Amino acid sequence: MMMRQILALVLFASLLNVGVAHAQTTAPNSEANAKAAQALENIMARQRGEVVLPSGSDVPAPEGGPLFGPDPGPPNTLGAQSQSDYWRAYRGGDPADVVAAIESGQAMTTTGQQWRLLRENYIRKYAGWFPVGVIGILLVFHLVIGKMTISAGRSGKTLPRFTLTQRVAHWFMACVFILLAFTGLIILLGRLAIAPYLGKEVNSILTSASLQGHNLFGPLFIIALVWMFIKFVRGNFFQLVDFKWIFKLGGLFGGHVSSSQFNFGEKSWFWMVVLIGTVISITGIALEFPWLVADLRLLQLSTILHGVGAVALISVAIGHIYVGTIGMEGSIDSMLKGEVDENWAKEHHDLWYEEVTGKPASEDAS
Amino acid sequence: MSFVEFVEGPLFILASAIFVLGALWRVIGIIRIGRKKDISPPKGSAVMGFVVGNLRHFFPRGIFARRTALHIIAGYGFHLALLVLVLFAAPHIAFIQDRLINVNLPEMPRWGFIVAAEIAFAGLIMLWVRRISDPVMRLISDWDDHIGTWLTFLVMLSGCFALQESQSFLRGLHMLLVDVWLIYFPFSRLMHAFTFFLSRGNTGATYGRKGMNL
Repeated sequence: MMMRQILALVLFASLLNVGVAHAQTTAPNSEANAKAAQALENIMARQRGEVVLPSGSDVPAPEGGPLFGPDPGPPNTLGAQSQSDYWRAYRGGDPADVVAAIESGQAMTTTGQQWRLLRENYIRKYAGWFPVGVIGILLVFHLVIGKMTISAGRSGKTLPRFTLTQRVAHWFMACVFILLAFTGLIILLGRLAIAPYLGKEVNSILTSASLQGHNLFGPLFIIALVWMFIKFVRGNFFQLVDFKWIFKLGGLFGGHVSSSQFNFGEKSWFWMVVLIGTVISITGIALEFPWLVADLRLLQLSTILHGVGAVALISVAIGHIYVGTIGMEGSIDSMLKGEVDENWAKEHHDLWYEEVTGKPASEDAS
Repeated sequence: MSFVEFVEGPLFILASAIFVLGALWRVIGIIRIGRKKDISPPKGSAVMGFVVGNLRHFFPRGIFARRTALHIIAGYGFHLALLVLVLFAAPHIAFIQDRLINVNLPEMPRWGFIVAAEIAFAGLIMLWVRRISDPVMRLISDWDDHIGTWLTFLVMLSGCFALQESQSFLRGLHMLLVDVWLIYFPFSRLMHAFTFFLSRGNTGATYGRKGMNL
């Protein structure tokens, strides 16, 4: 009996102790919750653009500046002393208002983060699929439609199409372009396309090599671009006859389509190379000699334009290589021998044939 | 023995020996063939013709200057720039001093190296694309010409790839290609580096003896 009374007393004392302890812990939690709710409300108010004064302080917040106050806020926060507005403005706001004391007027930029996200989430992620996609389309095209042959067959008679200097300029550009394309793709996509399969060590070696090769061959691309422009600009200006080529998609639909020395596709390719090549050249110079560009954001923009432009050129170049080699009978002769078969000329560049020979293309073709 | 040690050590010594002995064998062999005895009375000096013939061929004839401008410029650019790179590039000087002979060669600045490399690459690529684009050049070219060109190109390219000097494999690859190039050299048209003066001199001596104005 005595034992039972003692046990009951101990149990009661224990329960009493728990109750006191509970009361001791719940009171500060309520206070913390209230502060947290207030802090949240303050944050929301600031986001609405309202000026929030520190609680318990009658000192007004400095206009446009950081908010300081005595309130320590909820645990693990700065509460009213939070300088989130200040840092938000410091990071992305008007630098003149916030960091006017700094000579450059800019202490921190977020463009680097935006650049990184754009590069990682879009360019690196999807860039490789464009050339692969073009190869896939061409493969399907080749399997379904096949090689475009000279319908009248080879005549055995040839016409001079490109001079030796034009051919050398073209192949010089082609060699430099291929080297830059491979090294550039390794630099851009090596971490995604090589490292997981061949290992980081192999990727490291290839990237190191590619970087040096890319930097060395870059200036040669500029020389090749200027040389090619001078040698090929004549005949590459758009004409009215090119519209027919567009509507018939180069002869894929609606039968034969006339064209002069260069058709719309060739002219478009030429101007793509010239214009995108110029952008790639300028951005390449900026990236190779970064001290020439004072603004970091211009360098970030340069990497984006350089990469996107290069991938576009590489993708279209694959199509150009296909049509120039296995895709169309007789095309490669123009750049290897400088001469083309007369029937090829009549079929693909009838206006140019008539201009060069003075004979009508249609009569001879029949 | 690592890959780099092998290609810079035993293989390099073997390749160099083949290069030196093979080149000497070829040059001495050509000289020993001699010339058919010319029994006509000389109208000029064959020796002078040999010298003038060599010097005269350094410049294109006036009527051919325009037609040959492209490969003259590319040829000079490539050969001179390559010579400068081989002798005065800092990594090459370090290698020569370490492995071959302790000679003090002036080091090119980095920008000089880059400019020389650009000229050498541009020249070599132009010479090769002319070889494939010109129907006559294509007809008279065979595998030896293409292999020699491509091997030289790969030696230069691998050297440029190794410029960062952060990967020993790339240095090893460059040296391996140098070794292959040295072994291939005496048995190919790359020998023109040592025989051009003999062919030019032979033509010059023949014409000189006949008293022709070179």
